[in-house]
Amino acid sequence: MKLAVFVSDYRLTVDTLDRLNPEKLGIILVQNGVYHATTKENGKPSSLLNKSASYYALIDDLETRGLGNADVADNVKVISYSDIVDLIFNEYDKTAWL
Amino acid sequence: MGKLTIGCFASLVGSMSLDFAVRLAGTALDKGHKVDLWVSGNGTMLSIKGQRAFKDYSALEKPLKELMEKGLNVTACEACAEARGYHKENTLDGFKRHSMDWYLASSFDADRVLHIGGE
Amino acid sequence: MPTTKLGFIVQRAGYKSENPKLALTHAIASQSVEVYLNDGDIVTADIAFIGDGVLNCKKDQKAMDIYKLTSTETHIKMSLLLDLNVMVCKEDLDRFGMTENDIVLDAEEFGAELTVKVVPFAEITKMMEGMNHLLFF
Repeated sequence: MKLAVFVSDYRLTVDTLDRLNPEKLGIILVQNGVYHATTKENGKPSSLLNKSASYYALIDDLETRGLGNADVADNVKVISYSDIVDLIFNEYDKTAWL
Repeated sequence: MGKLTIGCFASLVGSMSLDFAVRLAGTALDKGHKVDLWVSGNGTMLSIKGQRAFKDYSALEKPLKELMEKGLNVTACEACAEARGYHKENTLDGFKRHSMDWYLASSFDADRVLHIGGE
Repeated sequence: MPTTKLGFIVQRAGYKSENPKLALTHAIASQSVEVYLNDGDIVTADIAFIGDGVLNCKKDQKAMDIYKLTSTETHIKMSLLLDLNVMVCKEDLDRFGMTENDIVLDAEEFGAELTVKVVPFAEITKMMEGMNHLLFF
């Protein structure tokens, strides 16, 4: 399974992502999920960034929150809505919004 | 080109998930894909006409009308709408209302389904 | 026959959130979807309760008596009556100290033949892999 998971919150109320183990995992950070890409609590980056996955953060939702490319962790690619469409059609076969 | 079915169950005001869904739908349409948008639960708020576009609240009537002209197929869960007092006469022109099986039927021939849950 | 398989994954507790009920009512709608499809086309719905979602499966819910609302328990029973595959994650039941004795397992009173399956998360993963589309509630 090639799964694109949309993370839209910073504090997740479900642990589903920890348990999914698809053959290919993409994590698309949108809405408040983009804080995973930019925020360090007590100096530590979000543990969500430690998975074996490709990471993406939506530029519109970064900039809405006063953030930008320079704030994003090295392993996260900043993308547009157009890139999201291409990712879900071309790189992954299923999606999940958590 | 493919077909994307988006289901959004979150409210228009308060979560911005519908803003995301409508922007994604518009982008997919512009790239030549077919897009169905299903709203259910609190998401049916999107179907109501005459909402005032204050700048402090999400207001999607204008972009939604533009996307419908481009071919966006948008449908609300009729029971969810009626339960909230959103009646047919208050529904945006072109916004369809059906039972929940419409969403599943749309998913039948969709290449991708993005289900955005509610509150 | 052309078939599209949908997996409904319920991850949250009910009542405070409308999500679990909408998962079940939309899954149940798979039984009437033919009106929109060509002859022979089929949409199936499998339901899995995981994480806090397993709390929806507690039996003896009295939502109708107290709030005049159809209980999640009744929706699960309707799903069984309509022959939907309903799975509950065993590890999550264990985590909450719940056993099969605590949850709705069948709908014999309605004449349902299927029963709820308590399975390891690995089984639910296998189900998800076999679906065309996943809907997380």
